[in-house]
Amino acid sequence: MNEEKEVEEQPIPLVIQKLEAHHADALLSQGEMRGTVVVVVRKEQAYAVLEYLKTDPELAYTFLVDITAVDNSQMESELMQFDYARYMVVYQLYSYQGQCRLRVKVPVHENDLNTPSVTGLWQGANWLERETYDMFGINFEGHPDLRRILMPDDFEGHPLQKDYPLRGRGERESFNFDKQNA
Amino acid sequence: MGLTNTDIQSAQGVEQTDGNIITTTIDRVVNWGRKNSLWPMPFGTACCAIEMMATLASKFDLSRFGSEAIRFSPRQSDLLIVSGRISIKMMPVLKRIYDQMPDPKWVISMGACASCGGVFDTYTLIQGVDQFIPVDVYIPGCPPRPEDLIDAVLQVQQKITSGASPKGVEHLLET
Ligand code: SF4
Repeated sequence: MNEEKEVEEQPIPLVIQKLEAHHADALLSQGEMRGTVVVVVRKEQAYAVLEYLKTDPELAYTFLVDITAVDNSQMESELMQFDYARYMVVYQLYSYQGQCRLRVKVPVHENDLNTPSVTGLWQGANWLERETYDMFGINFEGHPDLRRILMPDDFEGHPLQKDYPLRGRGERESFNFDKQNA
Repeated sequence: MGLTNTDIQSAQGVEQTDGNIITTTIDRVVNWGRKNSLWPMPFGTACCAIEMMATLASKFDLSRFGSEAIRFSPRQSDLLIVSGRISIKMMPVLKRIYDQMPDPKWVISMGACASCGGVFDTYTLIQGVDQFIPVDVYIPGCPPRPEDLIDAVLQVQQKITSGASPKGVEHLLET
């Protein structure tokens, strides 16, 4: 009985409190994973929320650690959670001031792969978004230079999508020597 | 490489007459020189390259076999060591570097990845560089030990001594 009580009394993280106060309508879900606070945010308000997280003097998540994505198309339970959004774009943030991490997830539907670019907030997002575009096909709107970064320019498809065959579609044998040399 | 009398006497195709005169063929002399001064072009793209570095460093010391002059310009080298995974984006670069090397040139494919793709049977990895450039010596292993690389260099040397042409020009000789 005692233990349960202690669990209940755990303080709500500051970031959750503040997000609930300022961006309650954007918040789809919140939780914790191995000591990291995880919030899921509506795509339409994602930019505003990230901007708030970065600029708020108390939170100050000034360091964008990583941007990546997850393709949930083969995990029914995950898929259903957010209205069958196939992709989840993931932002890992760190606050030097609070010395804490935060994971922001943004569900993206297959039929609308556009999502706002955060290059305006963090310059370092440039290559991270290019990589996510290259691997998953997420289209970051407002990105200054959304080209492939890992795969050759003339590559077709986005290899980390779950329906992309592991051994490729014959690119290994048929890639274009000359075009890439140009 | 100091030459002793026994070296000269035991060498194939070399005859010593009285005094200090030896006779041989120009090919043998040239090959002897080539064999002992292979200048490698390292193409290290992954973990195998670490073993290559170890081979070149003092402990294993590839310079004992005349191959320590690593050239980072393909135009100055005659031995290409492909050590590591080659992706479909890197293959044109590798091919270009191979093309830039002056003849005669030899190629060592070091490790499982360069030779056959290794464990990376994926959309982006070349399953064996020999599909695109001629390879003279393959080294198995993941990664091969430095001794294996030394052995491969020695095999290239043997190939040169025997007068065999590099894989890269064999097709030219056939026609
Ligand atoms: S063969 Fe093994 S050690 Fe060499 S590059 Fe491949 S994975 Fe790395």
